[in-house]
Order: sequence, then C-alpha cells, then structure tokens
Amino acid sequence: MADLIIRDLVKTYDKTEVLHGISLDVKDGEFVVFVGPSGCGKSTTLRLIAGLEDTTSGEIEIGGRVVNNLEPKDRDIAMVFQNYAIYPHMTVRKNIGFGLRSSNKSKAEKEKRIEEVAALLDMTPLLNRKPSQLSGGQRQRVAIGRAMVRDPAVFLFDEPLSNLDAQLRTQMRLEIKKLHQRVGSTIVFVTHDQVEAMTMADRIVIMKDGHIQQVGTPQEVYHKPANTFVARFIGAPSMNMLAGQVKDGAVVLAGGNAVPVPVAVPDGKKVLVGVRPEDLHPEGETSLLEGTVSLAEPLGHETLLYVETPSGEVISKADGRTPPGVGARVALHALKENLHLFDAETEQAIT
Amino acid sequence: MDLYRNLTIRQKQIVWAYAFLALPILFYSVIRFYPTGNAILISFQDWNLLGARTWTGLDNYVKLLGDPVFWQVFRNTFVYLLLGTPISLVISFIIAYHLDKTRFMHGFLRMLYFLPFMTSAVAMAWVWRWFYQPVPIGLFNNALASIGIPQIAFLNSTTNALPSVLAPAVWAGLGFQIIIFMAGLRAIPRSYYEAAKIDGVGWWTVLWEITIPLLKPTIVFIVVFSSIGFLRIFDHVFNMTTNNPGGPLNSTKPLVLMIYETAFDSFDMGYAAAQTVVLFLVLLVVSLIQLRILRDR
Repeated sequence: MADLIIRDLVKTYDKTEVLHGISLDVKDGEFVVFVGPSGCGKSTTLRLIAGLEDTTSGEIEIGGRVVNNLEPKDRDIAMVFQNYAIYPHMTVRKNIGFGLRSSNKSKAEKEKRIEEVAALLDMTPLLNRKPSQLSGGQRQRVAIGRAMVRDPAVFLFDEPLSNLDAQLRTQMRLEIKKLHQRVGSTIVFVTHDQVEAMTMADRIVIMKDGHIQQVGTPQEVYHKPANTFVARFIGAPSMNMLAGQVKDGAVVLAGGNAVPVPVAVPDGKKVLVGVRPEDLHPEGETSLLEGTVSLAEPLGHETLLYVETPSGEVISKADGRTPPGVGARVALHALKENLHLFDAETEQAIT
Repeated sequence: MDLYRNLTIRQKQIVWAYAFLALPILFYSVIRFYPTGNAILISFQDWNLLGARTWTGLDNYVKLLGDPVFWQVFRNTFVYLLLGTPISLVISFIIAYHLDKTRFMHGFLRMLYFLPFMTSAVAMAWVWRWFYQPVPIGLFNNALASIGIPQIAFLNSTTNALPSVLAPAVWAGLGFQIIIFMAGLRAIPRSYYEAAKIDGVGWWTVLWEITIPLLKPTIVFIVVFSSIGFLRIFDHVFNMTTNNPGGPLNSTKPLVLMIYETAFDSFDMGYAAAQTVVLFLVLLVVSLIQLRILRDR
C-alpha cells in the first residue's frame, strides 16, 4: 500500500513529445482511472509508471521513493495486460506462481500464497488447468491473480477488459471493483471506455493529446466538466453544444432564443452552451430551442430524438411510451441549472 | 450438361475440387508414387539397367546386412545427423535470438546469413575444399602456420574428414533456419516479456521458461527439416572428395552417395534399390520419432 505521485512527467519518442508534463497525486488505496481516446498518452503514462519505458523528464514517486531509475521489479508494482500475458504452456498454478519467482520466500510459503490468491478469486478448482482450458473471464482472473500474488503497492491495469464480450466486461468490472474494496490497494486503471471509467473510479483522469484535461470524481467530471472535450467525452450520447453570443446577461442562440445564464459574462462574448441529451426534453417550461424531429431511436424506456434546429442537429431524450414522431415540430426544454457554459475560443468552462 | 446442372452446390464443389486436383494427382502418381513402388520392387530383383530383371527374393537385403561398407556408411549417415542437427539448431537459434534484438544493419546482417542458403552447393563445396588445402594454398592451414600451429589434415584424415565436410553443410543451412527462428521469435507477444520484466525474473529464466517453450512448434519444424537434410547429405560430400568420393577409406561416405555409386558406377540396380528402401525407412522412423517426442503431450 502506498501513494503514487507523478510530477511534470514528459515522454518523447525521438523528436515527438507524447506526454507534456503530467502531474497527479494518487492517494493510498485510491482507484484512479485514466481515460481518453486512443493516442492520448494514457497507456504511455502507465508504462512509465511500470518502468517499461524510460521517462524523458519528470519524477515518479511510489510510497515516498523516487522510482525513475529503478527496474520494474523493484518498483513494488504489478501489471495486468490487455491480452493478459499469461503463458499458454504453464498451468494456472505456475502462471500465478510466476509472479513469485524472484521473491525469496520458501517453497511452502509460496504455495500457501498461491492458494490464498486462488481462493480469493474463486480459482482453486482451476489451478491445474492450462489457459487453453479456461474461458476469457477466467484467463483475466489468472492475470489478476498473478499480479495480486506479489502483494504490490500499486496495481496497474492496461485496458484489461477490452478483449472480453460486453456481458463479461460488465461482470469483470464489478469483480474488480469488489476486489478493490476487499484488498484496498492503490489501483491505476487505463481504459478508453468512459462507462468503465465512470463505474469503477474513485477519481477519473481524462487525457487528450498528452495533456490531462480534468481530474475529478465521476460526479465532478459529469456535472462540472472543465472544458468542451471532457463535456463531450463523458456521457453517451454526447453533450449538445449550442453556439451563441452574450447580450444583456443572456446568451442569444442562433435561432434567436435568449437563454438566461447564471454567471456574469461580459457582453458580446462568444460562448457555447452545453446541454446533455438527458437534460433536454420535448416537454417542460423553459423553452431552449425549437426544431423538427429528423430521426427517432426507441430504446424502450426512453427514445432518443435527433432534432434539426437553427443551432444544428441536437439530441434529446423523450419518454419511451409517447414520443413525438419523425417530422413533428418540437420545443426543447432544459432546466437552467443543467446548462453548461463554455468560452467559444478557449473551450474552457465559464463558472 | 444437364447432369452437372442437377448436382447440389456441394457436389459441384467436389467436382471442381477433383478437376483441379487431377493434375497434381497425375503428377504425383507418375513422378513420385510409381517410382517409389518400383524401387521397392527392384530391391527384390537383380538388374543392371539394360538386361532382364530377375527375381532374387531377399538376396539384396542379405548382402546389405553382411556388407561392412554399408555399416560404415550407415554409421556415417547417423554421425551427420546427430552432429549436424543439434549443432545447426543451437547455432541458428543463438544467431536468430541476437539478430532479433539488433536494430543496427538488421536487414543487411540477415541477408548475409541467408546468402549461403542461396549459393550453389557445388561452388560452396569447392571453395571450402580450397580453404582446407595444406600450406601454401589452403586458407585455414596458412592461418594456423602463421601463428605457429602445426598443420591439420582436414580432408585427408579419417577422423577429421567427416566434420570438415559437415561444417559447410551446417553453414549452408543456417540462413534458412535463422529466418524460420526469427519468424517464430517475432510471433511471441511482447507483453509476455514485459510481464516477466515486471515479475522480475532473470533473462535465463525468460529464455528457458518462456521463449524456448513458446518456440516449440518452430523447433519441431526445424529439427524435422534439418534431420531429413542431413540424412540425405550428398552434394557437399561428393564435391569435396571428388577424387575418391566418400573417402578417405569411406570415412565421409553417406548412404545417398553409396546408393549413387552402387547404381551408376556398378550398375547394380537391385542392390541400390535395397539401400534406398533402407534410407526411406530410416527417414520415416526418424521423422516419426521426432514428431512423437516433440509434439505436445
């Protein structure tokens, strides 16, 4: 158990800088998820923490110790890989035991530890099987077992669920979260799936192009996105962005509607008004904009409406039973407190 | 045409499959299987290539068992196999393992190793023969003489001749084996090595417990292929010992060379065919044993 501190981490490959000075504090026992589109530097960050790549500059500190120049094995970490990296020619027992090869425990102690971990993961009956005789989820657990057996200070997960089918992914997501509650170790988890990030994380780190965009709890990044990228990235379907200009303490949208804004913004400033589809309904009191329904996607409990408006196409959520039909003229409503305001130039949130 | 049209899709596919297979089947029957059967038949006959074939029963095999030259040749063939296969396997693995990690002039180095495989065995054998000559001519003996080591009779000694002939044969096959090994090494996912690095095991453990076990299919392939190659060795021996093929004193003579001499110097086709059948059985048994041992249990 230990905290993990990253200071001004920079990584360059030849001349290309892929990480531009990342700083982050992960507290002891915290579950932190790195999320972002591919190529954002999240996996690179993880590999730097693991010691599989050399840092160009900056510092990585695990449990109060700067580990920049330590070999991976001396950093007190364990890693679970996307393709599991469990050895096909070894039994589950040998695979889990492989993590103990370099430790100087006695053979009996090692055996005991393997049994403990197997019991914790419900794998005891599978210990003598080969990976080819296991299902995808079981292989995933072997990989987690091999990481756990060493009792590391920090667990690193590199997109471990992306090779599983949707149902299994949901199940493993839960198992990993439960495991974290039981074992209580520090976890850094990398994923490109924002649902995984939202459901598992204590805190989410959203990355783009080698920069951290926002660090916060799932509630914070959902309700108070720091910029338009985070606003669009978190939540599905994405947040609608409506361009407008401030006039007399209200935002005038392309359609001519004026939306009162809670914060003071100088007149004439170009802004983006963000509103999530789940906050935008075809019924209510304060009309935000009007348009024609061009497409409806029924999802059972609700219906997604694609509405053509003067501000472009927006997505709105309607009731599942009696939604407006395609071609219907609708007025869309949203509560004032559910609107997000962004600077149109810097794309940063205005608060 | 109606007959064809009324067939099901599956039957039509079968008709076409056999239409395309007809040529290779014909080729194999006439060029491979018929001569193989014929050789087995001739091994029970006496024939000088021109005269009539006369049935002699097991006489050729009895003669073979009592022939001291055959047993010498049989032993030589297995020495080629038992030295050549492991030596070439180890050397090609070591080269491939290190070449795989080398970025500097990677393509050029790989080409250099592959070059001997493309070279004519005859040309290669003659160049090596020149290397092995005694002092003012031979490269190796000149080098030895210049640092004051006595000359070595490479090709003129019954003990040195076989390894001297084997060396270029091993060298010639290396390129191919290195390419196959490198393909095998590339196929091992990098995350296996990264996981091992994080687990902190040494390179020796990684080599013995990860790399080599995962290369097993590659190793099986190379062992079987190179074994067949060494059991059939001929051109290197023939060209390096032309004035006395298989000499000195039959010490380098492999089975294929003996078959060649019996057939085309002595024109004893029946006896040569009996030797061929023995070689065929040896190849069959060796390959089956290797597959059995090296296959996954």
